[in-house]
Amino acid sequence: MIDWLERTFGALHQWTFESLVLPAASALGLSGYAEHLFDGTELFLIGVLQIIVLLAVLRPLEAWRPVERWASRKLVRSDVIYTLLNRLGLVPLAVFFALRPLVDGFDGWLRMQGFIPPNLEDWFPWLRAHPFAAFLVYLAILDLAEYWRHRLQHRFDWWWQLHALHHSQRQMSFWTDDRNHFLDDIIARGWFAIVALAVGVPPGHFVAALVVTQLIESLSHANIAISFGRVGERLLVSPRFHRMHHAIGAGHEGAARGCNFAQLFPLWDVVFGTARFDADYHPTGIRDQLDGRDYGEGVVRQQWLGLKRLFGRDRALAALARAS
Amino acid sequence: MSLRLPAWILVAASLAAAPAYATIAVVLNSGDESISIVDTATFKEVARRPIGKEPHHLMKTPDDRYLIVANAASNELVFLDPATGNEIRRLPNISDPYQIGFSPDQKWLVSASNRLDRIDLYDAKEFKLVKRLPAPKVPSHIAFDQASRFAFVTLQESDEVVAIDLATHEIVWKMKTGKQPAGIWMTPDDRHLLVGITGEKYVEVIDWRERKLVKKLMTGQGAHNFLPVGDGRHVLLSNRIANTVSVIDQQTLDVKESFTVPGGPDCMEISKDGKQLWVTSRWARQVVVLDLGTKKIITTIPVGKSPHGIFLKDHAPRR
Repeated sequence: MIDWLERTFGALHQWTFESLVLPAASALGLSGYAEHLFDGTELFLIGVLQIIVLLAVLRPLEAWRPVERWASRKLVRSDVIYTLLNRLGLVPLAVFFALRPLVDGFDGWLRMQGFIPPNLEDWFPWLRAHPFAAFLVYLAILDLAEYWRHRLQHRFDWWWQLHALHHSQRQMSFWTDDRNHFLDDIIARGWFAIVALAVGVPPGHFVAALVVTQLIESLSHANIAISFGRVGERLLVSPRFHRMHHAIGAGHEGAARGCNFAQLFPLWDVVFGTARFDADYHPTGIRDQLDGRDYGEGVVRQQWLGLKRLFGRDRALAALARAS
Repeated sequence: MSLRLPAWILVAASLAAAPAYATIAVVLNSGDESISIVDTATFKEVARRPIGKEPHHLMKTPDDRYLIVANAASNELVFLDPATGNEIRRLPNISDPYQIGFSPDQKWLVSASNRLDRIDLYDAKEFKLVKRLPAPKVPSHIAFDQASRFAFVTLQESDEVVAIDLATHEIVWKMKTGKQPAGIWMTPDDRHLLVGITGEKYVEVIDWRERKLVKKLMTGQGAHNFLPVGDGRHVLLSNRIANTVSVIDQQTLDVKESFTVPGGPDCMEISKDGKQLWVTSRWARQVVVLDLGTKKIITTIPVGKSPHGIFLKDHAPRR
C-alpha cells in the first residue's frame, strides 16, 4: 500500500513538474534551478493533498460533532487564506529565500572555523540502519523545540504581540493552525531551521515530519468534540487538549503564561508542568477581545494590527490587560 | 576431538549464502537517504539500504578497492565493496561532500561543497584536510588536467569556472561561463574543458590554457553531466530538461547525435561491453537502461527518490 502510494505520488510529482513547472520555468529562464523547483513542486502537491484530506475528513467531523455551532462562518475566511498561503508553499518559499542564505552562511562560517555540526547519527550510529526509529527521534526533538518556541511566544511580551493574532480567533477550526503573523512565521521557521541544522534532520525526514506535524496541528485546532481517551489524550495532542490552550482565561494566562503548549506530544507539557487534561470546553480567544479590542477580521488588517501592537504605544496596555 | 568440516562443504555453504546476482549497479537515492542495489542481469532492484543523508555522487578509489559514496548532509564518505555494495567503513568529518574527485596523480581528493560554497583539498592517502577555500556560489563538478597541476570546478550560481593550483592550494583564476555551469570534462588531449551549461542548451568548449571560449556545442536544454564512452574519442552529455543524451566527438568537437532518455537524465554509466547505457532519471524515481546501438529503451528500473549517482561494477573504461 505504502509502495503504491509512493509510486502514484511520484508519478504525479513527475508529471506536474515536467508538464507544468519546467515549461514555465524554461520560459522565464529559470530552468537552471530545476532541482529547487522539483522540491518546491513536491511541497506544493503535498499541500494540495493535505487540503483535500482536511476537507474530506475534518470538515465532515466538524459538521457532525462541533464543540461550537456558529450562525455565520465569516470569521473563518481569513484562516482559509492563511492555510492556502502556507500549505501551498507561498509563505514557506518566501521564508526559505529569506533564511536559507543566513543559515547556510552561518553553517559555512562554522566550517571555516573547523567545526562541522554533528548529526544525531554521529552520536547514535544505530539510527543509521533504522530509518523509522531515526524519524521518530527527529520528530520528538523537533517537537520539543517547538514546545519551547511556543512557550517563549507566550512568555516574551513582544513575541506575544505577534502570536496574539493566532489566538484572536474566536471561531477556532481546522483552518486556524496557519493563522499567524508573517513575521512570526519567519521567526518560527528560522527556529526550526536552526534546530534542524543542529541535529541534522535529513531531507526525507524533513518532508515527512512536516506532513505529520501539519496534519496533527490541523486536527488539534478543529472544532470537533472528540476525546482520544484517557491514555490517548496523553500520547497525542487532541482537539480537546489544544482547545484548552486557546481558552479565554486559561490557555494563555498565569505564571507560565498558559497551558498545553505542545504541538504533537503532550508529554512535554507533563514534563514541564504545563499540562491540563480538563474534560470541559471553553470559548476561545483573548480576554481583552471581550472588552472590544480589535485584532482584525481580514488578513491585511490582522497583519497591520500585529505590527502596530509590536511597535505601537498600546503594547504596555495590552500586557497590563493580559496580566489582569 | 576437533570438528573439521570438509572444504567442499564450506565452499558449497558460502555459495549458497552468496546472492544470486553476479554483477551489480549501485544507485544513490539522494532524496531518501538510501542506495539501491540492482542486479544488472535481471534489471531488478535486489536491495535498498540506508546509507546516509543526501548521497549525490560516488566513485571508486584510485586503487579500485572501494567505491566511495559521498553523503553531503551527513558530512562523511562511505566506503563500499564495489562487488556487493556492502559497507566497509565510514569516514566522518568530510564537510558537505557534494561532488568528489581524485587528481590523476592520486595525490589529491577535491571535494565541492555545493550548499556551503567551499572547495576542500584533502590529502588523498590520509584523507586529511589540507585547505578549505571559500568559493561562492555553489561549487558543483570537478575536473583535472593530466599533469595534476590544476583542479577545475564549476560554480553553478555565479556562472564561473575556477582553477585551483594544486601546488599552492589557491584559486589562480576564474572565468565566466553561461548560466548555471555544472558538469565539467577534460578532453583526452588535455587541451579543452567541456562545460555543461545547465541553465542553457549548450556545452562550452574552453581552451583552459588561454582561458578562452573556443565554441559552443548545441546539445539540449539543461546540458548537465558527462560520461566518456570508453573509446577514447566520444563523451556523452545528459540534457536534463530536454530529456536527451548527446554524443560529443572530442576530436572534432562536434555533437554527433542526440537521443531521447526520459525523466530528467542525470548521471550515466556504460556497461563493460559498451552495449548498454544506464541513466538515472532524476524526476522519475527510476533508472533507464538503453541499448546504445539502437538507442531504444531496454527497460526502466524503479528505485528511490531523486536518483542521482550511479555505478556499474562492470563498466566501460573511463576514457
